[in-house]
Amino acid sequence: MASSENVSRAQPVWTLRGWLSSHRNFQRLQQVIIFMIMVVGAVAMIAPFEWMLATSFSRSANVAMPRIPTFWPADPSSFNYKVAITNLPMVRYYLNSFIVTVASTLGYLFFSSLTGYAFAKGRFVGKSVLFIILLTTLMIPFEIRMIPMYLLMRQLNLNDTYAALILPFISGGFGTFLMRQYMSAIPDELIDAARVDGASELTIYTRIVLPLCGPPLAALTVLSALWRWNDTLWPLLVISDRNLFTVTFGLAMASRSQGIYTGVALATSAIAILPIMILYLFLQRYIIRGIMLTGLKG
Amino acid sequence: MLRKLRKSLIWYAFVAPTFILYGLFVAYPTFETFRLSFYQEVATQQQFVGALHYIRLLGNQVFLAALLNTAFLGIVFLMIIIPLSLVMASLLNNLRVWSNLFKAIYFLPQITSTVAVALVFSYVFQPNWGLVNGLLRQLGVDPLPLWLAEPRYVLTGSRAAVTILAIWVALGYYMLIFQAGLQAVPAELYDAAVVDGAGPLQTWWLITLPNLRPTFIFLFVTGTIDAMSRFSDLWMLGGPAGTPARSLQTIVLYMYQTAFESNDFNLASASGVILFVVVLILTLFNFRSFLQREFSGQSGA
Repeated sequence: MASSENVSRAQPVWTLRGWLSSHRNFQRLQQVIIFMIMVVGAVAMIAPFEWMLATSFSRSANVAMPRIPTFWPADPSSFNYKVAITNLPMVRYYLNSFIVTVASTLGYLFFSSLTGYAFAKGRFVGKSVLFIILLTTLMIPFEIRMIPMYLLMRQLNLNDTYAALILPFISGGFGTFLMRQYMSAIPDELIDAARVDGASELTIYTRIVLPLCGPPLAALTVLSALWRWNDTLWPLLVISDRNLFTVTFGLAMASRSQGIYTGVALATSAIAILPIMILYLFLQRYIIRGIMLTGLKG
Repeated sequence: MLRKLRKSLIWYAFVAPTFILYGLFVAYPTFETFRLSFYQEVATQQQFVGALHYIRLLGNQVFLAALLNTAFLGIVFLMIIIPLSLVMASLLNNLRVWSNLFKAIYFLPQITSTVAVALVFSYVFQPNWGLVNGLLRQLGVDPLPLWLAEPRYVLTGSRAAVTILAIWVALGYYMLIFQAGLQAVPAELYDAAVVDGAGPLQTWWLITLPNLRPTFIFLFVTGTIDAMSRFSDLWMLGGPAGTPARSLQTIVLYMYQTAFESNDFNLASASGVILFVVVLILTLFNFRSFLQREFSGQSGA
């Protein structure tokens, strides 16, 4: 054992070059440098949030901000939060966000998987044509369709309803595409066996296919939830009733009126951000896996 | 034949809901945007006016500035985020401790709503006591930059501020996609490079980068589309007009302002069609340039 150590020490250890010539030491130094770069980045990621929190707990922040940024309130108080909650019906906003997000996500999962199943395992005239139609329009950004969508909603008298926030998003080309890709890999024998046993297609879909589709369903849940929870542009077009504001949209509208009160404004954003962040702490692994699987972001 | 159709019926039922909704909210609105762009509302009647709105737009300084601005913000953003996130992802991929923790932290801004992030950053960039200028003052910088109050094309103006914001938000996502790409590079290639005596940088340049081609294409295409349709953060920071001095106005902001503040749905639709065409051209161009490189690379080998 002692001899092998002597062999690896080709250069004396007391010079830097000698120390680095050992492969293990070089690796160690490399790890430390990478680690430090990552820490700098991580501090940059967290600092604005931390500063927001510190300021939101400072009552004096509404009157005068310290010229040197502090990451701990000089006068800790929950005053700004009390004002924020009295000013805005945040509980109501959360309820609205929750209703809209859950309803559209459930719809998105159901219709994407149902149609995806038909495209993966169904046999019907026009299948490939319909699938191609769906694919070619995958890239049409929402912004290009938004004006006629708004006019349509106005015609249907759906503006200022939950339906306006939910209906346009309960199905989607991407979800269908992802489900179809995943379901195509399910062996035909499995489905044929069930057909021979007399199971209807609907039974096969609910009992056999869906239980096998955990990963894409989880990924679509993450995407749809992030999209709906964070959407601003569409609510801006179809919602003017304060009782239907979502958290994100309510925050956007409020920022216009209370912008001068720094402490209150940052407390309001903290109320909008923190619950989602705490949820992220628990679901982080699934969220990141979902984004990696689809390549799309929230 | 009839039996075959009847057997198909259940499948049509499975496909129908998606296609009905798709028709209502994708196909019809896209078509309608094109149609509206050729009409003009005269006393509540829509009249065909041909390319009038397009001619109006191409002579409209505000629209052209918004178009240029969108392209400028998008190009600068992509030119910084792609190399930065690639380097960071490569480094993180080699880190043996806490790499999942860092991944989670870098991804944090991505799950936070754009609106909340933009709101926080409007204070972060406040010139007198904001986080950024407060730190710069500690470092002895004088005079302090104006950030969001400076409309000119300078390194510390409004465009720089929103670009920093966009990079801060997107870094974790771009790193994640690059990491997925890095992990998909076959390990045998690296082993072969080591046998051939290639150093770490050589390996990265000659093996890693060429194998990331699909990731590059994907990020360029999606990044282009995202940049072209940028709205929420700029709307929060500068309103529909992209204050200051329209330095933050993008095409979608222009569209929104034209449609919902000036009530000119026809002109707004025409700008939407132009946005559509630009996105289409850029996407095809991105694909083509990468495919071409692939082709020439293969014939050279």
